[in-house]
Amino acid sequence: MTGTKEIKRRIKSVKNTKKITKAMELVAASKMKRAVSKTLASRVYANYSWELLTSVSAKLEEVTHPFFTPARNATHSVAGGENKTGKTLIVLITSNRGLCGAYNSQVIKKTILKLKSLENEEVDFITLGKKGDGTMRRVGQNIVASFIELPDIISLSDITAVSNFLTSEYKIGNYKKVYVAYTDFVSALTQKAQIRKLLPVSKEELKEVIDGLDSPKALLLENPQSKALGSTYLFEGDINKLIETLAEKLVKMQIYQMLLESNASEQSSRMLSMKNAGDAAGEMINDLTLVFNKARQANITREISEISAGMASVS
Amino acid sequence: MSKQLKLKIVTPEKLVLEELVDEVIIPTTEGEIAVLPEHIPIVAGLKSGDVVGIVNGEHIPFAVVGGFVEVKYLPEARPLSARGLASGITEVVILADFAEHVSELSDDAVTKAKARAEELRKQAENKEVVDFEHFESELERALTRVKIADKWRTRKYRK
Repeated sequence: MTGTKEIKRRIKSVKNTKKITKAMELVAASKMKRAVSKTLASRVYANYSWELLTSVSAKLEEVTHPFFTPARNATHSVAGGENKTGKTLIVLITSNRGLCGAYNSQVIKKTILKLKSLENEEVDFITLGKKGDGTMRRVGQNIVASFIELPDIISLSDITAVSNFLTSEYKIGNYKKVYVAYTDFVSALTQKAQIRKLLPVSKEELKEVIDGLDSPKALLLENPQSKALGSTYLFEGDINKLIETLAEKLVKMQIYQMLLESNASEQSSRMLSMKNAGDAAGEMINDLTLVFNKARQANITREISEISAGMASVS
Repeated sequence: MSKQLKLKIVTPEKLVLEELVDEVIIPTTEGEIAVLPEHIPIVAGLKSGDVVGIVNGEHIPFAVVGGFVEVKYLPEARPLSARGLASGITEVVILADFAEHVSELSDDAVTKAKARAEELRKQAENKEVVDFEHFESELERALTRVKIADKWRTRKYRK
């Protein structure tokens, strides 16, 4: 009997685990839904700001804003040429909590690969999320800022600090390049760890980012005739100032978008891994039940044979 | 039907409004402008204040903070607005950091915003420069809400 008791206890504990994973799956699913709808909602704004930038871009050539051209030190007043002395900054977006499959490890792996390619450059990190923060500290990277208390449901004001820090550091020429490592939300089943250059803004890449959003709206906005009219825009106020604020907004918007994407990815990969765990627990319960029944049957057979043996010896 | 223009108010969080209106009044950094259908394409910075759309003499006010306004002329009507507008339409896109219909600024929310503005002002005094920008935008948002809600309290407007 001792054998069956043991198995019974194990079945019970696996059942409990299954309940927990099921609950986590459901929580992740509802969080994912919210994150996805937020991601979609912000795409409209991203599209329009992109369109505005293209409208302005007719005049962009005469604008020399540090966001659009490689940052220069005050001493390097020659146009063009990258700032050789500046460092590289990587913004790493990870989750605060674990139990979400390969979500964190994938983006971290990608970052470490990137680090290898930047071997002889000085690299600083900004980390968003505890997991990436911990890993980068272990690896011994220089973390200049870490934002680990971001809520699950982020709003734009939550990342003001991040984007302000980033843009001001970039503007004074501390960094020559800024990358963001994040996870792109392709669908509920596929997420892709990615590294994107955030600054300096090159028009092609910016376009890529917004094309990557591939909402049907983007196609609608691709109206060749309205683009042709772009050069006839009237600008009110100082165009340089306008472009500067627009560029800053776009940077902030991109970080926001990437955070949203990462968030949606995190939740969906957590949902998936919890679903897998739940399925595995179900399988285990089935196996254990089978073993339990066999043991029980063996017990009964043994008892019967003992009884009949006893009866045979009595008569 | 007289000509109308399409007013769109977009924030990073959502599309706040998409509607056909007769006229729209926009606070830009250079001063208030009124945009009528077939306005010349223009790009301007937005000042915090109220964007007012006017339909049939009725006002639709929105409190907005920070952003841009783009007025453009779409030569072809979009599939949605194809009926009766074959010659194209003027589109006004307002990209704001924050936008809210005045009716959403209930008295309760306004008193809260007021209290928050005061609190933020006090906090801003003690804070170092680092956090200042954040507080500044928060403060401006709260102040704008109060100001615009006060302005429209006694006026008539459409929901």
